[in-house]
Amino acid sequence: MTTWLVQPFTVPYMQRALLEVLLLGALAGAVGVFVVLRRLAFVGDALTHTVFPGVVIAHLLGQSLLLGALAFGVLTALLLTGLGAHRRVGDDAALAILLTSFFSLGVVLISRTRSFTADLTVFLFGRVLAIDQTDLLQTLAVATVVAIALVALRKELVLRAFDPEGAAAMGYRTGALDLALNLLIALVVVAAVEAVGTILVIALIVVPAAAARLLADRVATMTTLACLLGAAGGWLGLAASYRVSVDHGIRLAAGATIVGVLVGLFLLAAAVAPLRRRLLTADTR
Amino acid sequence: MSQLSLLDAFGDGFARRALLEAVMVGGLCGAVGVHVLLRRLPFFTMALGHATFPGVVLAALLGVSLFLGAALFGAVVVVVVALLGARERVDDTSAVGVTLSGAFALGVLLLSAQAGFSRDLSAYLVGSIVTVQPSDLVTTAVVGAVVLGVLAALHKELVLGAFDRVGLAALGYPVLALDIALLLLVEATVVTSIPAVGTILAVALIVAPAATARLWTERLRATMTLSAALGAASGLVGLAISLQWRVAAGATIVLVAAALFAISLVVAPRHGLLARRGAAAALGGAGAPGGSYLPDESESRDHSGRLAPAAIAWALCQWRVAKIRSLMASIGPTALMRTRIPRRW
Repeated sequence: MTTWLVQPFTVPYMQRALLEVLLLGALAGAVGVFVVLRRLAFVGDALTHTVFPGVVIAHLLGQSLLLGALAFGVLTALLLTGLGAHRRVGDDAALAILLTSFFSLGVVLISRTRSFTADLTVFLFGRVLAIDQTDLLQTLAVATVVAIALVALRKELVLRAFDPEGAAAMGYRTGALDLALNLLIALVVVAAVEAVGTILVIALIVVPAAAARLLADRVATMTTLACLLGAAGGWLGLAASYRVSVDHGIRLAAGATIVGVLVGLFLLAAAVAPLRRRLLTADTR
Repeated sequence: MSQLSLLDAFGDGFARRALLEAVMVGGLCGAVGVHVLLRRLPFFTMALGHATFPGVVLAALLGVSLFLGAALFGAVVVVVVALLGARERVDDTSAVGVTLSGAFALGVLLLSAQAGFSRDLSAYLVGSIVTVQPSDLVTTAVVGAVVLGVLAALHKELVLGAFDRVGLAALGYPVLALDIALLLLVEATVVTSIPAVGTILAVALIVAPAATARLWTERLRATMTLSAALGAASGLVGLAISLQWRVAAGATIVLVAAALFAISLVVAPRHGLLARRGAAAALGGAGAPGGSYLPDESESRDHSGRLAPAAIAWALCQWRVAKIRSLMASIGPTALMRTRIPRRW
């Protein structure tokens, strides 16, 4: 079992991939806690799609993909915070339109290039096995920024999630807090875009946190669990994808395998949660 | 672009077929979209689009009809979301998120094990309307006619269900059956539009025309007609632009629909940003950003933080009289997509 988990990572490119998914899994798990608590899964999904044109433009101009994604991530976070306030356009509708129109912009731009479909696939599904040193450092930098922001704003964000009126009454600027959270989600999406692709980032953000929510009663516990689950899913997924591809000759896309493992962990948590609840109630009695 | 060159672009046989498909899909999506907006199902529609993906892959592998595979998997997802969302600690948004990503990953896994990975995938994801076949046209026409027929037949019940579920139940209608019927109609629409605009963008054609129409009119029937017309127009203009400049057709159609929405958001009478600013100034709130002096604004402030239940009720209530407001606030939009506030935290 140990060799099964460790042996694939003796190859350098697998080591880089492992480091990347461990970082991303933990990072996305931590931010995902707030996404799940605030029920912002759709916002996360929207952000994963709206950074796409940024990536395409950066690609066409020969600039850093991260920069392009970052620019569009920030733009979306601003638009989302603003559009949601319009009275006759529901949050959902605004999100759906923003998401699809930005994504379409990316598709239109990239459809002008010759390597259309191959490029599209890479942007959508990432290339975690082709991560290099620079990508890793970029992810590390983003992770540091997000972690610092999360620790600094932790109390305010939790208060905002559970008691928005209270937070407003205490003089916190809830609009600014919303913007901060949207920006944090955008940063995670941007960091993860090259590794797992725009589409599967949403899984990294929502699934571990939703699983942790099933198992934990306290925000701190839930955050720890979500980070661990995210990282574990990344590790297991990579190992499984490598093993199946090498030993059995069936090519399994690494990013999608990671998501598959995460969903498996979620289902496991859903199965275990009632048992745990029963044990807890028995204890208190 | 002059009108003549607009029509010139549709000279060829494939272009005519694409045009017909775009207009039909646009109209169908527009009409269904009003109901999707009424019940706040855009995210669910999005998930349906993604969830049909493994169905399409499986159908392609087995050599059966793509529509069949997509429809079956869509139905599975409706059930899974309903089951997951019924758990105490999984809210509906997370349930949809988990189902969406899980189903999509399953599709990618299935595909990645095959050769010819990227090409089939992109065609499915972003649509390929110019390669639409006569058989697809027939499918679209038949499904569209059925969906619109059912929508027309159940119009009164569906609308009542969106606004006043208690009333609907009290009148003796089968509420749950009507909910499921609507979800199935949405699913049929999504599956039908996949050849034209692809799975990811189908949700755009459903939501954008309806949201645009809603900015222009207050009446439901007018909204539906306008929405269907806007959808069809988006299909027509988007296709013409894409043929003219040789860019991806599905994405261009969506961009046209989104552009119509963006323009309406600014200039629409009464609900546009310009009109709201004027109203705010008339109320003595000159200089206030975005018309925050309108009567309902304080209410929206209270609920804006909670994306789910209260905001749902609030947004829905802008459609009709204040009486429905209190009802909706306590009930939520549909039984299948109900959102609970956690008891223990």
